Amino acid sequence: MRNDPYPVCALEPGQLAAMRARPLPRRELTQPALILLGLLRLYVLVAVPIVCYAFVHALMTPQ
Amino acid sequence: MTYGAPDMPMSLPAATEATVTREDVLRARDRWKVRESRSRGRWLRLLWLLAGPGVLVMLGENDGPSMISYATTGATYGIGFFVPFILLTFVLAFIVQEMTVRLGAVTQRGHAELIFQRFGPFWGYFAMADLVFGNILTLITEFIAIQAGGLYFGIPSWLSVTMGGFLIFASLTLRRYWTWERAVMALTAFNLLFVPAALFAHPSGAALAHALVSWGPLPGGVTAGFVTLILSNIGATVTPWMIFFQQSAVVDKGLTRADITEGRWDTALGTILAAIAAIATVAAASPLFTHHVDVSKLNDGADFATALRPLLGTTGATLFALGIIEAGLVAAMTISTSSAYAFCETFHERHSLNLSFSQGRWFYGVTIFSCLFAGGVVLIPGTPLVALTLTVNVIATLLMAPALVFLLLLINDREIMGDSANGWWSNLAGGATVGAISLVGVFYGVITAIPGLLGK
Repeated sequence: MRNDPYPVCALEPGQLAAMRARPLPRRELTQPALILLGLLRLYVLVAVPIVCYAFVHALMTPQ
Repeated sequence: MTYGAPDMPMSLPAATEATVTREDVLRARDRWKVRESRSRGRWLRLLWLLAGPGVLVMLGENDGPSMISYATTGATYGIGFFVPFILLTFVLAFIVQEMTVRLGAVTQRGHAELIFQRFGPFWGYFAMADLVFGNILTLITEFIAIQAGGLYFGIPSWLSVTMGGFLIFASLTLRRYWTWERAVMALTAFNLLFVPAALFAHPSGAALAHALVSWGPLPGGVTAGFVTLILSNIGATVTPWMIFFQQSAVVDKGLTRADITEGRWDTALGTILAAIAAIATVAAASPLFTHHVDVSKLNDGADFATALRPLLGTTGATLFALGIIEAGLVAAMTISTSSAYAFCETFHERHSLNLSFSQGRWFYGVTIFSCLFAGGVVLIPGTPLVALTLTVNVIATLLMAPALVFLLLLINDREIMGDSANGWWSNLAGGATVGAISLVGVFYGVITAIPGLLGK
């Protein structure tokens, strides 16, 4: 594989698997973003029971 | 071969050369062709080389349940309001998917890993878990489509499901992104079988043109059923797995900042082809409307193909059933791959279709396991398939909102996106689209979960 006629230099450094495996730094969240994520957590808390209810309800409804 | 295209670095730093992998070499082969075509100004070849993720994601989303949704629309309302409406939903899908092209090309990270790295483990695990859970349930509906299409031809369920699974596994044995992508793209061409099927319905060109211009007619007016169909058509066009799949595929294919324009063309091409197939499905099923066939008894692709046989003829109905099988098969390939990308990105496992089986055991393992599970569930006698299908709709639409919010947050993250972040206009279009789809998704999720909320 190392003698491949196609040079790996056709890749940008950031495309190499080793470079892509390096994690990006955590984002510093602004106040609006924090509020949005807080609302999203609330949304998830509401949505998950609805999903569970829908599944159980559908299971109990005769086909 | 011409070495040394003008913008090509001749060598990589020694530190990175030491860590070059098989995945890198295979991707470099593809990139070399791209650089060569770009330097020679061969734009059509360049588009051919860079097309793929957009076409796959758009035609993949024309999956089994989506085609049934379009057929139900045609059978209930004929050619009218829903023709321009479906076009509009594909425009929305394009706006969303274009953002994933930029995100992937600029950051070289998949959607799941970007959420994990930029917003922390809670949202990272949540995004991955909701996607994988929703995807496995959606995969079941794709195998139901394969099974239903097979039943139309008299193929027993076990055989059609096994054949579908075999084709998915065979595509993985290619262990090469480029070959896998081209193989699946060749399969997606069969999504256009709905076009000749529609021709057997002899749709009126004047009626189509009138519908496009006037957004009508709308027989029966606005009812609860109409609202549900509107919402399910939106749900049939924009779903969470599309965001995760296209971004990861863009990275796996090796698109860079310089390829964003071609990535947009690829997405536009996929959008146009998928919209044509969707509208053709509405047209193909429209004779059921003109002949007042009761649609409520038609549950799957086999039912529709059987009901259409006296109206479209044997050839038309056969094309319709083949199209349903293709829809399920291609979606099963792309959706299972999107699960594998998201799972491995979150758990820091290697993720690429360029990996060997030993290097990518988790990646291929998740793909194969999810298909085996979904195919197995379909074959278990007495499995509540209708319940599962219903739950899939609820999950997909309810969980669309978080996926879209993260998409907007990431595309506006200037630390990682630089000049490719959304501008004012992009945010207006993207924000409006994301807001509208999220609200509609929540509404659809709630009325599906609580039937009767809108009355009859």
